[in-house]
Amino acid sequence: MELATQIITYGVLMGFVFAFIALGLSLIFGVMNIVNFAHGEFLMVGMYVALLTSTYLPLDPLVSLPIAAAIGFVLGVFSYRFLITHILRGPMVAQLFGTFGLMLFLRYLVMFIFGPDVRTLSHGVLVGKNISLGWISLDASKVMAAGLCLLLFAFVYWMIYRTKLGRALRATSLDAEAARYMGIDTERMNGFAWGIGGATVGIAGGLLAHFYYITPTIGMLFVLIAFATVALGGFGSISGAFLAGIIVGLIQGVGGHYLSELKFTFIYIAYFLTVVFRPRGLFGW
Amino acid sequence: MRRVLRDIFSFGDRPFFERIVLLVFVVVVLIFPWFVESAYARAVMIKFLLFALFALGWNLIGGYGGQVDLGQAKNVGFGAYATALMMLHWRTPFWLTVPVGMFFATAESFAVAYPMFRLRGHYFAIATLCVALAWKELFVFWDWTGGARGVEIPIRPTPNFTYMQFGEVGYHYFIFGLFMAQFLFMNWFRKAKLGYELQAVRDNEDAAASLGINVTGTKVKAYCITAALGAIGGSFMTVYYLYIDPEMVMPLDLSILIAMTVMVGGAGSIWGPMIGAAALIPLDMYLGAWLAGGGYYGIDFIIYGFIIMIIAAYEPKGVWGIIERIIKGR
Repeated sequence: MELATQIITYGVLMGFVFAFIALGLSLIFGVMNIVNFAHGEFLMVGMYVALLTSTYLPLDPLVSLPIAAAIGFVLGVFSYRFLITHILRGPMVAQLFGTFGLMLFLRYLVMFIFGPDVRTLSHGVLVGKNISLGWISLDASKVMAAGLCLLLFAFVYWMIYRTKLGRALRATSLDAEAARYMGIDTERMNGFAWGIGGATVGIAGGLLAHFYYITPTIGMLFVLIAFATVALGGFGSISGAFLAGIIVGLIQGVGGHYLSELKFTFIYIAYFLTVVFRPRGLFGW
Repeated sequence: MRRVLRDIFSFGDRPFFERIVLLVFVVVVLIFPWFVESAYARAVMIKFLLFALFALGWNLIGGYGGQVDLGQAKNVGFGAYATALMMLHWRTPFWLTVPVGMFFATAESFAVAYPMFRLRGHYFAIATLCVALAWKELFVFWDWTGGARGVEIPIRPTPNFTYMQFGEVGYHYFIFGLFMAQFLFMNWFRKAKLGYELQAVRDNEDAAASLGINVTGTKVKAYCITAALGAIGGSFMTVYYLYIDPEMVMPLDLSILIAMTVMVGGAGSIWGPMIGAAALIPLDMYLGAWLAGGGYYGIDFIIYGFIIMIIAAYEPKGVWGIIERIIKGR
């Protein structure tokens, strides 16, 4: 019973993180119908920011989260400005490969600079600490990551649905041409979506670095989980991404407990089954 | 029959020019082992032909079909594992294992094709990726296939045609034979009925459907043929390297490299795959190996990534697109 509670709690906690990672991907897809393969690489960059600031600067990895967010934002806007604007004009194949090229470029640039070694975060306020909630004991950094992801998810949700900026973003995603006629600078909205995508996933990377190993090739794993999450929830649907994130977290947690070698296979199979029975995702329109 | 023969050896707008190019290519590859002694250069040549073979196969679905399939490595893996496991467990001759590998790749593709082709574009690409990765993890996990340790083929002491084991030069001509067979097959295919239907579906699905083409059926057929072609190269990999594991024959990187070769060379043209392989494989084998020797990991992939970004942004038709523009004088 205790074990079951622990597995499910961890599943839900990881689910919040997965949902937050998927958020940016879903947003970018919703606004301009493009799948960002480099999303996981942005996450990896966030992880390295946490690692480097805590190794070379006297900063706690938690304090460096805003730095990770800023770098992610700049990375996102730059990618949009210098790559995506060009490939948006081309055929779909070129769009796919364009972000794919960006993924390879970022991944191996980091590998070139910092080496291919697998590293872990060694010090930080929360690293390796446990908190006990009555009957179960949880990894403090995971609780922190899940809590912050949940909070920030709510913030982005609020921004998209309650502010003027968010309304402009949604207008662009519904009909870019009409939005342009209404005086919305859609180019800027596109760039903004990329910036938000980069910033959110950069923060997620900084949080994941607390309890996950760090290597230049880690991005692929998380981008696939994010794809599965977004597809499960329905591309472009933000509340869908949230629920799908929790489902994916539970699949990974429960499956991983019984057959740890296949924990990601379960996610791929879940994605495939969703595609078979509901190509638009659980909450897609 | 005569029609088929004519289609196999005829080329597009510039038949004379293209036949000359093909002839030169064939002669150069045939005499290559006489002039080049270096074992490394010969290995580069074999890898070039192998990837040109993979790229030709992928060009069917990715170039002529316009469907971005990022899971070709699973078909390579099926071919490789069919050959390796049958040779290891039942001592089956090589030539019997190839059709088995092709059969499994085709059957699996057929099984997943219908649900996958309910998707288009990006969704389809991600679905192929997920299916291929699920298979790879299954092979890592499965004991009978050797798991992550892989499969080793027992080495025969003498050159042996039943199990296709001989020296480097033998493999050179072997892979060249496979490559030429596939090249001529593709040259026929693009002018066959299914080839035209496939290109019509790529260019405009709705228009193709209105002309009575079964859109999904055409895509599924193309997907299955591509799978079978990928498996042939996988079988070759087994007998050439004499050792396979999932990380080697089924990784995502292989799927990507195959698709990238076609993209760089020029998707949807008969020469594209060859040009792409000629550009990328020597780059990887010489520049990448040289830099990795100096401790600089990953520079080759940085360059790959950069090339792909440039090509995607400015020249989606690849190197062949540039050549075509020069020839047409525009």
